[in-house]
Amino acid sequence: MSTTALPEGAPAPASQVPKAPSQRKRRSKLRLRNTLMGWSFIAPNFVGFAVITLVPIIALFYYSCTKWGALGDAQWLGLDNFEKLFTRDPRFKTALWNTLYYTALHMPLTLAASLGLAVLLNRKLRGVAFFRTAAFFPYITSIVAIAIVWNLLLSPDYGPVNQILRFLGVDNPPGWTVSATWAMPAIILVGTWREMGYYMLLFLAGLQTIPPELYEAAKLDGAGAVKRFWHVTMPCLRPTTFFVTVMLTIGSMKVFDLVFVMTAGGPGRSTMVISQLIWQQAFVEGDYGYASAIAVVLFFLCLLFTIIQFMVNRRSNK
Amino acid sequence: MKKTSPIALLGVLAMALTMTACGGDGDGTSTSGASSTEATTEAPPTDTATAEETSDVPEETEPAEEPIVLSMSGWSLETTPEFQVLADAFHAANPNVTVELREYDPNDYETLMLADMSSGSATDIITIKQAKFTTQWAEGGQLMDISDIVSGLPANVSGAGSYTVSGVNYGVPYRQDSWVLFYNKDLFDQAGVATPDGTWTWDKYAEVAKELASKLDGVKGTYEHSWQSTLQGFAQAQTPGADLAGGQDYSYLKPYYERVLDLQDSGAQETYANITTNSLTYQANFGKQSAAMMAMGSWYVATLISQQASGDADTFNWGIAPVPQYDESTTGTDKVPVTFGDPTGLAINANIDPAKLDAAKAFLQFAASEEAGVALAGIGILSSVASDAVTEAYFAQSGIPTDDLSKFAIGTHETKPENPQSPYIAAIQSALGEAHTAIMSESSSIDDAIAMATETIQAELG
Repeated sequence: MSTTALPEGAPAPASQVPKAPSQRKRRSKLRLRNTLMGWSFIAPNFVGFAVITLVPIIALFYYSCTKWGALGDAQWLGLDNFEKLFTRDPRFKTALWNTLYYTALHMPLTLAASLGLAVLLNRKLRGVAFFRTAAFFPYITSIVAIAIVWNLLLSPDYGPVNQILRFLGVDNPPGWTVSATWAMPAIILVGTWREMGYYMLLFLAGLQTIPPELYEAAKLDGAGAVKRFWHVTMPCLRPTTFFVTVMLTIGSMKVFDLVFVMTAGGPGRSTMVISQLIWQQAFVEGDYGYASAIAVVLFFLCLLFTIIQFMVNRRSNK
Repeated sequence: MKKTSPIALLGVLAMALTMTACGGDGDGTSTSGASSTEATTEAPPTDTATAEETSDVPEETEPAEEPIVLSMSGWSLETTPEFQVLADAFHAANPNVTVELREYDPNDYETLMLADMSSGSATDIITIKQAKFTTQWAEGGQLMDISDIVSGLPANVSGAGSYTVSGVNYGVPYRQDSWVLFYNKDLFDQAGVATPDGTWTWDKYAEVAKELASKLDGVKGTYEHSWQSTLQGFAQAQTPGADLAGGQDYSYLKPYYERVLDLQDSGAQETYANITTNSLTYQANFGKQSAAMMAMGSWYVATLISQQASGDADTFNWGIAPVPQYDESTTGTDKVPVTFGDPTGLAINANIDPAKLDAAKAFLQFAASEEAGVALAGIGILSSVASDAVTEAYFAQSGIPTDDLSKFAIGTHETKPENPQSPYIAAIQSALGEAHTAIMSESSSIDDAIAMATETIQAELG
C-alpha cells in the first residue's frame, strides 16, 4: 500500500502517473463491494440481533439506574439500585451464592459426563446410533415434563430413588427437592442429565476430527488406552473442550427454567438463583429497574468468567 | 488460533449478551406452584345456558342513541363464562352498548396486560384479576379514578377497598370469593364423628382431623394445599393486630404453623413434601375422598358440582361450613365468622375515548348490581353483592348442598382482603412465600424462617 496521500490536484510523482488512479479506484471499488457484500451476508442476522437483543441490552443498562414499573417514565436513581443490591438485599447474596454453587458443580460434572459419553459412543458398537439418540433425548424433552417426572422420582416418601436407597440400606435418604440441603444437588443432577447429551454431540463431532493415524502411532509407541486418551484425545479436543467449557459456564450462570419448574427457588430460598431473582423482581414485584440492575451484574459475571477462560486458554496455547 | 481469538472473544461476548438478556424470560410461565389468587379467578366450566338466554332478550326499540362498543379484557373465555354473562346482561339492558371481550392467557394475564398498557392498546374496561396489581397499574397512570362510582355503590357490595390506592378508588368488584370449609358428610358419618356446626376454632378442627384420620382407613382427616394462603391468609385475617403490610412482626403466623406441622407429622393431613413432589391437586384429594375436610375458596363449590356431575369426582354428600376461627369470639352461627379472599374487579382505562366513558361507568355500576349478581350466581359465581336474591339464585344450582350451615357459610362472613394495597405487598408476599416453603418442608424452624422473611421485608421497605 502506498502511504502518501496526495492533495487533490497536486502533480503526482512521474513513475506512478499512468497506473495509480485507475488502479486505486478499482481497488477501492472492489473493497467497497466486498464490504457491502460482507455486510449483506450478516445483515439478516445482525438486524434481528440489533433490534431484538442489542437495543434492549443498551436499554437495560439505562434502566438499571432507575426506578421503573414498566409503565410511565423511569425515575433516575443513579447507583442506588446497585448499592441496595450489594449492601442491603439479603436475597441477592443468597442468589449469587446459589448460582456459583450450581455453576461450580454443574459445569465440571456435565463436562465429564458428556466427554465420557462421547468417548464411549465414538466406537463401532452395535446399536450405537440408538444409544447416541437416547443420550440426546433429555435435551429435547419438555422442561416441564422433566420437572414433573424428576420430582416424582425424587419424592422423599414414595419416590423410586429413595425406595432404592432404602433397599440399599440407607435409613434416612435425602429429602431432595423438599430439603434445603438436598434441593440444589437434586437440580444439579437433573441439569447434568438433561444437558450432557447436547455437549456429548459437540464432543463426538470433535472426536471425529482426530486423525486415526495419531492413535496408530501412539499404539506403535506402546501407549495404553489411558495414555492415548490423555496424550492424543485430550490435546486434539482442546478447541472443543474450550468451547464447551465457555458455553457451559455461561449456561450455568444463567440457569433459570430448570430451577423455576422444579423448586421455584425453594424450599425457603435454598435454590434461588440470580436469573430467578431477576424474574421475581420484575414480573412478580414489578420493580423493573432493580431487576435490570441484577441483570447487569449477571452480565458482568458472565463476561468476567468468559474473559478468564479466554486468558487461560491463550496462555496454555502458548 | 492467536489471530482469530479477538474475533472469537467478540463472538462469545455477543453470545453472553444474548443469553443474559434471555435469562429473565425463559419458558417459566408454566409454573408448578400456582398461587391461590390464580385459582381464585379460575371459574369452573359450567353450562352457559344463562348467558345464551339473556342474549336472546329482544332489543328494545330505541334507535336514538349511538351504538357504543366497549372492549374488555378477560381470560380463558371458554371455561370462564362470567365475562360473557356480564356483557350480555348489560347489553340486554342497554341495547346501544356492546361489550366485546379480548382474551388473554390466564397464567400471564398481568404481564400481557402490562405490555398492552405500555403500548397504549389496552382495553377500555380492564379486569383486575389479582388485586395486588392495582397499585402498580394505578401509579403507572393506567387506571381512571372512579371514586365517584365506588362511593355510590350500595352498602351490600364488598371488596371495593381492595382497589383503593392512597385514598383513591380504581376498581369495582363484581365477584368476591371467600374461603370456607368443605367437608365430606359420608366420611364423617362413617367415622362416627359429628360434622362441623359453625362453632369450630382451629384447635377443634385439628382435633377432629386427627380423630377422623385414626378412625378412617387410608383417608386423611383433612387436606391443606401447598399455597401459602391456605395458612397465612387465615392467620393474617383472623389474628387480632396482625399487620401484613407493616413489615414489623410476623410472629402471628407461628401458632398456625405449629398446628399444621403437628397435623402433618401425625399423619392427619398429607405432607407438603408429597403434595409438591407428586403434583397433587386439591380437587382430586377432596373429590376422590382422600381427605374428609378441606379449607378452600368458594370457587370450588362450582368445580365440585361439575366434577361430581362429570364423574371426575366421586359422588358423595358434602357440606360447607364457616372456616375455623382464631378463638371463640367469632364462632357460632349467631356471630360473623372471619375469613379472607380477594375480589375480582373491573377498572376503566385512563386513556379511554371520552365518548365511551359514560357507558363504561354504567357498565361498572351494573357489574356490582343485584341484577348482575343474580346472573353470575346462575353460573355458580359468587357476586360481590350480598343479598337474599343473590344467595337464593346461588343455592338454586343443582347439586349444591342446601342445609342451613352451608347457606350460613356462603352468606355470612367478614371477608378480609388477602392482599391489602401497599406498594410493597408483592415483595412482602414473596418473602413470606419463601418462609412458607421453608417451614412446610420442615427444612427450617418456624422462628428462623419468619426471621429471614422479616429481614428481607425490612430491607425492601428500606
